[in-house]
Amino acid sequence: MTTTVADPARPERPSAVTTRQLARSTAARQRRSARIKLWAGAVCTALVALPVALASLLPLPDPNAQDLSRRRLAPFTDGHLFGTDQLGRDLLSRLLHGGQVSLSVGILAVIVSGLIGIAAGSTAGYFGGWVDAVVSRFLEAQLALPLLMMLLLVVALFGPSVTVITCVIAVAQWPEVARLTRSLVLVEREKPYVAAARLLGMRSWSVLARHIVPNIVRPASLVILLLLAQAVLLESALSFLGAGPQRPFATWGRIISDGQDYITTSWWLVTLPGLVIALLVVGVNLLGDGLRDRVRTTKPTKLAKGA
Amino acid sequence: MSKYLARRLGQSLLTVFLTISTVFVLVRLAPGDPASAYAGPTATSDDLARIREQFGLDKPLISQYGIFLRDLLTGDLGTSYSFHSSALDVVLDRMPYTITLSVAAIAVTVAVAVPLGVWMARRADTSRELGANVLTIAGQSMPDFWTGVMLLTVFAVLLPVLPASGFTSWSGLILPTVTIAVLQLALISRLVRREMTTALASPYITVARSRGVSERALTWRYALANSAVPLVTAVGTRFAALLNGVVVVEVVFGWPGVGSLVVRALETRDYPLIQATVLVTATLAILVQLLVDLAYPLLDPRVRLGKAA
Amino acid sequence: MTRTPPSETLSRRTLLRVGAAGGAGLALSPLAACAGPTGAPGPGTLTLGLNRSLVSLDNKLNQFDAAVTVQRAVRQALTAIGPGMKPTLVLADRFEMTAPTTWSVRLREGIRYSDGRPVTVEDVTTAVRMYGEVAGSFILGLFPELPRVEATGGRTFLLHTREPVPVLDRLMANILITPAKDNRPEELRSGVGTGPYRVVSANSGAGEYTLARVPDYWGRRPPVERVRVRFVPEESSRVVALRSGELDVIDTITPDSAEQLTGLPGVHLEKTSGVRLCQLFYNFRKPKTHPLSDPRVRQALTYAIDGESLVRDVLTDSAEQAQGVVPLSLQGAERTGRFVHDPARARQLLKSLGADGLRIRIMWESGEFAADTSVMEAVAEMLKDVGVRASLLQFEPGGDILKWRQGKGGDWDVIGNGFPGPTGQAVTMLQAMYAGTAEDERTGDAFMGYVNPAIARQISDAATEADPAARDRKLAAAQHAVWDTWPCMWAFVPKTLLARRTRVEGIGLLPVNSYDLTAVRLEG
Repeated sequence: MTTTVADPARPERPSAVTTRQLARSTAARQRRSARIKLWAGAVCTALVALPVALASLLPLPDPNAQDLSRRRLAPFTDGHLFGTDQLGRDLLSRLLHGGQVSLSVGILAVIVSGLIGIAAGSTAGYFGGWVDAVVSRFLEAQLALPLLMMLLLVVALFGPSVTVITCVIAVAQWPEVARLTRSLVLVEREKPYVAAARLLGMRSWSVLARHIVPNIVRPASLVILLLLAQAVLLESALSFLGAGPQRPFATWGRIISDGQDYITTSWWLVTLPGLVIALLVVGVNLLGDGLRDRVRTTKPTKLAKGA
Repeated sequence: MSKYLARRLGQSLLTVFLTISTVFVLVRLAPGDPASAYAGPTATSDDLARIREQFGLDKPLISQYGIFLRDLLTGDLGTSYSFHSSALDVVLDRMPYTITLSVAAIAVTVAVAVPLGVWMARRADTSRELGANVLTIAGQSMPDFWTGVMLLTVFAVLLPVLPASGFTSWSGLILPTVTIAVLQLALISRLVRREMTTALASPYITVARSRGVSERALTWRYALANSAVPLVTAVGTRFAALLNGVVVVEVVFGWPGVGSLVVRALETRDYPLIQATVLVTATLAILVQLLVDLAYPLLDPRVRLGKAA
Repeated sequence: MTRTPPSETLSRRTLLRVGAAGGAGLALSPLAACAGPTGAPGPGTLTLGLNRSLVSLDNKLNQFDAAVTVQRAVRQALTAIGPGMKPTLVLADRFEMTAPTTWSVRLREGIRYSDGRPVTVEDVTTAVRMYGEVAGSFILGLFPELPRVEATGGRTFLLHTREPVPVLDRLMANILITPAKDNRPEELRSGVGTGPYRVVSANSGAGEYTLARVPDYWGRRPPVERVRVRFVPEESSRVVALRSGELDVIDTITPDSAEQLTGLPGVHLEKTSGVRLCQLFYNFRKPKTHPLSDPRVRQALTYAIDGESLVRDVLTDSAEQAQGVVPLSLQGAERTGRFVHDPARARQLLKSLGADGLRIRIMWESGEFAADTSVMEAVAEMLKDVGVRASLLQFEPGGDILKWRQGKGGDWDVIGNGFPGPTGQAVTMLQAMYAGTAEDERTGDAFMGYVNPAIARQISDAATEADPAARDRKLAAAQHAVWDTWPCMWAFVPKTLLARRTRVEGIGLLPVNSYDLTAVRLEG
């Protein structure tokens, strides 16, 4: 193609490759993409997560305080930034307080599914044999089945409490973690340090728990943000279908499904909660994506250090 | 090959069997009573007892299960409590609607995601690619029911150009299909982009390019063909997940498919109908998976089934 | 170096994919037949959007208000309930009480089913027997006892009961007549009736039906040629579909939908007072020492409820506060009192009765009545204002609320309950709610545990009274007695609401929430 000529004005650079060219290299562009995603993700997430976390400190009306004479006020009227709902409650306050439930359900679910997934996946990957067969069959079955139907059933079975919803989402998500962990462990167990530990007479369980798992937790945890995004969506879908946490918890899905009947007259009751969910989930997805991209582009150095 | 097929079939049957058994037990352990949902608010305890007997719900769980398995062998999934007719028939009546919606959604997703993914691979890591990437992620991040309600508001209320619900005309298919496609787009387009980036950087492309094959043929015929296997795998494995989206979307758009049926069957605790729905959808999802596996050798002559599974 | 992004290879490949997929969809679905090119109904077709799935055009097991409209267009009964809750004659041209337990009936001359077979007394006998044999029928619950049919001629027969059933002519409106040979003790999936329409296509799984006019119907020929029945479960979808003209009539709409549809061009609302009673009913199974066992406490709590504001703001004026123990539109209903909002009085009364700081649990099932959740959340706030802490327990449909209602689920204090009045008779509703006996209560069958032997006696005495004037007097006394026990914290009667396109004329919406399809016209 074209021949690059070194810039004579900058002789101190010991290479013919200019900074400009470096900046346009694939690696640099990938890093830039990852950085932009990380920043955008962090901003979107913070825009939603911070107010939700600080909901009780913000000068907001009580999320349950009704005023039947001020029902369905449009946004920006009478100090209601997001307007009011069908019972005259402040929508913003309900969204932020509801978000506390939705978000904590999501976070808890991801932690639980992470624990189950890492345990099952690493056992399957390390021991192989029938353990692997059983876990893999479970994974396949669960990935092949229309899960939402089953989840609706289980929620109906145990009643829609926050604990049940959390567990249900965790159970829905563990296969992702387990699959990833299993493949990571399969690679890891062939490494010399594992053989060394075995030679030293350590028992399999402690090799797995003390040496292998700590090495795979970091890469495995990268999917966790993506799972969190899915968990928030799943919770809202369950609430929408009537299997959300029992009232008075105003979760995001429930606010939307309650507001759906007013869609033609009060657009904000559905639109704004949906936007808030979407903003948060976009943020979390971008963060997760950015982190993954960054790890991918910096992989060589990390591997060099690790090995 | 036939040995492989037999093993896969066996595994699939086992999965379906375990699923349906789990559902059988779950629905019966769940609170709620089909008899009271069936008889309405004015029923007396005597009525309820009579109905339970009629449904065979007065027997112990284990013998109910025995009867269920015996009938299952003859293809009888029981009589739906709320439709007063064969549960399997009710599900099969509705299945075409769900299949139409799913197939349309997959078709639209693939039709948009493949060119998009290819475009993204060729513009890898430019600002425009980043923008497209973020947009698809945004699509994936919106709750599907919300996307549905929004589309409904815009295209059926504000600009009444499309029907709001049900399947009275082919135009009724547009909004539900788009809702599902928006959700799936990110996953498939990103997969295509990744596969294409790898393929375009591989030696055989360089060789082909050096032999004067046009850029266009390189992209579409050489590189994309190699992405077919992962693409089909992804579509196949997404099928079950797609059915989840279909449940919600069917409810939003009043689509008379299996998804809205199962929500209703749960409300009336229609055990035979719940079982039939789960059985049919699970079988369908697993069948799709199986077909995908069997399609590998067709898409990639290097794959021989049963050798290295 | 700009490239032409989607090249020919792609479009061909993609087209092939789409084509194959679409083809598969087509092949798999027998949908093409029922899907026309556009969603809008044709000029001679009336499209109804029901919010519940019409499982069949038989009513043995499946009767909800809107279904009645459609079922009656295909199958008919001896009588029907017309305007003013008065019985009108349909297949019978005579239906008279000749003795307290005997009725003389004569079938109209020359009535035939849509396939040409004549209607016989045997058909009636079989129909009554089949309704009696089917388990779990809602209809059966309306009858104190099913009559025995005694044929006395080709067209005439007698109906006998053991006890006097003075409203038998109205009750028989629920027994639809089908040829004896085809009738079974189950919900009939197909078959013919005597009505003005016959079924030309049905998909009961999806709740979709197409009805066409019967060419030689025995009665007045209905103006509308075809009727399409669709099942549209989501309320918001029904509203949108009516606005766009996809649907012509949507029934049983919520107050909010009514508000959204008011004043829209091309849409008209029909309102009539309803026969359904929605109550916040107290739990009558509380131990004697519990404050709620004291009628004065029950009365004091009623002062906490701002019924006017609930009706105006939450139910958007599409309901009326109850002024009696049954809806006033029912025949035999009595105005017994009013609910008054006076929170100060409530607080003071509760204090003087030692019931301040009361905590109550309110339960209901989603969808029990329109805007149920909003009403409950509003009520909980109102109770908080008088110092009563209310917790809400919402059951999803299909859940265990019946067990709780029967006192076998858990402890509760107030239930949100809707009670239908399909016979149009106050006495049927009173019997179902307030005539519970100690024996019923042993199985939990007394309505919310309400057992009051004196009132039960008064009601059953009135129910078997053959003289209409004496019956109304006795019923009125019973209703006053019930009111004085303060059985509910608040009650309201939702109006029956229906929205139609303006091209649809002649819907005579009845309080029982159905209308006569033969009177409906399409303009333009």
